Amino acid sequence: MWKSLFTAVSKAPVLQTTDILNQQLRTTFILRRKTPPLLHKQGRKPKTLRSRHYIYELVKDTDVEKQADIDVILTSYVEGLGNAGDKVSVRPTFAYNKLLLPGLAVYASPENVEKYSNLTNDSEKIRYSSKNAFYTVQTLSQMLLSVVMNKENPWTLKPWHIRVCFRKCGYIVPEDAITLPEKQISGPNMELEDKEFFVTVTINNQEKVNVRCRIHHWSTNITERIPHVHNFWEILSEPVIPEQAPILESMPKKRNVIKKRQASI
Amino acid sequence: MVIKCSVSNVCLESHNLAFEWYWVLVIGACPTFINILNYNMSLFATRCVRPFFFHHYTLETSSFVQIRGYAARKGTRERKRKAKVKSVVEKVGFIPHNQRDKEKFLANRKQRKVDDSWKGDPTDDVYVAKYFKWKVYPFGEAVQCHRETHHPDMYNQPNANLHVSIELDMQGEKKTRFLDNFTRIVATPHRFDHGEERAVIAFCKDPDLQQSAVEAGAQLSGGVELIKQIQNGQVSLQDFNFVVAHPEILPELVALRGLMKRKFPNPKAGTLDVDLATLVKKFMYGINYTAVKDEYEKDFGIIETVIGTLNMDAKHLEENYVALIKDVYTMKPRRTGEFFRRCLLWSPPSQEKLKVDHESYLDIPKKQEVEEDDDKDSKEDRIAL
Repeated sequence: MWKSLFTAVSKAPVLQTTDILNQQLRTTFILRRKTPPLLHKQGRKPKTLRSRHYIYELVKDTDVEKQADIDVILTSYVEGLGNAGDKVSVRPTFAYNKLLLPGLAVYASPENVEKYSNLTNDSEKIRYSSKNAFYTVQTLSQMLLSVVMNKENPWTLKPWHIRVCFRKCGYIVPEDAITLPEKQISGPNMELEDKEFFVTVTINNQEKVNVRCRIHHWSTNITERIPHVHNFWEILSEPVIPEQAPILESMPKKRNVIKKRQASI
Repeated sequence: MVIKCSVSNVCLESHNLAFEWYWVLVIGACPTFINILNYNMSLFATRCVRPFFFHHYTLETSSFVQIRGYAARKGTRERKRKAKVKSVVEKVGFIPHNQRDKEKFLANRKQRKVDDSWKGDPTDDVYVAKYFKWKVYPFGEAVQCHRETHHPDMYNQPNANLHVSIELDMQGEKKTRFLDNFTRIVATPHRFDHGEERAVIAFCKDPDLQQSAVEAGAQLSGGVELIKQIQNGQVSLQDFNFVVAHPEILPELVALRGLMKRKFPNPKAGTLDVDLATLVKKFMYGINYTAVKDEYEKDFGIIETVIGTLNMDAKHLEENYVALIKDVYTMKPRRTGEFFRRCLLWSPPSQEKLKVDHESYLDIPKKQEVEEDDDKDSKEDRIAL
């Protein structure tokens, strides 16, 4: 009776031993003998190893080895990575901490690939034309573009002027992506000096962003030049076109200006 | 009676031993202790104690901790005081603040070598340039960009100079050896006003050649008579930046070697040639450039020169540029790897620098993949078996 009882209890799931740690452990060390043992003679017993043959040098510790990138499928738009449904390859730690844990992505297993295949056509999710488009929109909306025009020669503002000004500031913007205000701006007109307007930049024919611009007159003759103003972007100015005033007011200011205002408050 | 005692209590013992005759055998005492013993005995027992000194000190080593309640010998102190090294504080003169911690300053110094290969290629049509690899402009487009900035609507300087910066890898044949600064002149296919004052003197025997040299732009040309005039002092060589000569006049010209010094015509410097007119033109209108090595970053060199003006034809500017970079490439040391880091076009007053291509203009042999030596591998296998 006792025996049968014992077997019954021992077979119960509570008492059964299971492997608690199911995770894979990387405990492989690749070693090399410091003194390789000599070859043994054919047909003879191998020579006994000496203690010097048991001294090893570490070739590789697989625990500290750099792991390969892993593939994940994004479930929503991630700045600098991609849109929902995109399969991206990222560093494992970044994937675990920044994407998988917050639920921004899932592992790219065959089941998940199939499950999230229709995500790319989901119209509810926010979509950007590219992974960097969001950053570009952010940057452009906060900048102040200095439009340097001549003080002597007559000019009328055209998209290529804006493109050149963008390029000088380190932004590559093609001419067809720039939309000027409908009202023509022409000069030289010292009333327009240091006054603001905005142009609309279209990124990849999709995202539209308004960029704050400020006119500055520049003379070839040094004596004619307008004196330098330190941190001119921190000084608030008026719109060139009165109709643009409400939009200019609602647009985000350059970061420094915001900081300065907060400090003063 | 033999008293075997340690020296620390010798003095005590000697008190008790007064007025009696004893032989004191001192074993294993050093001369200092013997001195003390002598002293004590002279005080208390000069007559009664006759110390017998057994001078073999190593016979027995006494195991005791010495406690000495009196001063060490005067000589010892003096000796030790003398042995003390006097630390002399050197007076350092005033160092300007910007020159202090030079090493620290150099470590924090921004590297002049720019490597953007780790950055990605832009994917969008609108992008922030600093987050991506530098855009490499075709030469014509770069010139067009500078023309736009210098347009009458903007900077209004349509005939500004077009500068080029060529960044070089100055590493020599060995890793620790670096090229020296070098200055050269390259003939330009299309002439422009470089704004420098240059004077050339030409030597040749043939009067026709002399005439052609003057027509090409030489300030002075002549033959044997001119050499004599220079020797007389009628003509000064100081007034001329460059000296060119025809090889036939070289034997007579040797007389001026001392006066000319480094200016003496030689084929290596390109100042000795049969075609004197082209030679004069090269030195009069060519592009003069100097490669300057960075003072601290020895493997970084830079050439900054003018290749023309913006109102010139873009094709002509390109040809000047190609002539320049081909000439610079002749200075490449015999080593693998690239000589040019990058080439930038710029034109003041605009601060913009546009990267232009150089590789397509130079016929650099492409890297050939070294074929694996199969025979060697199989041989190694056999050894392993």
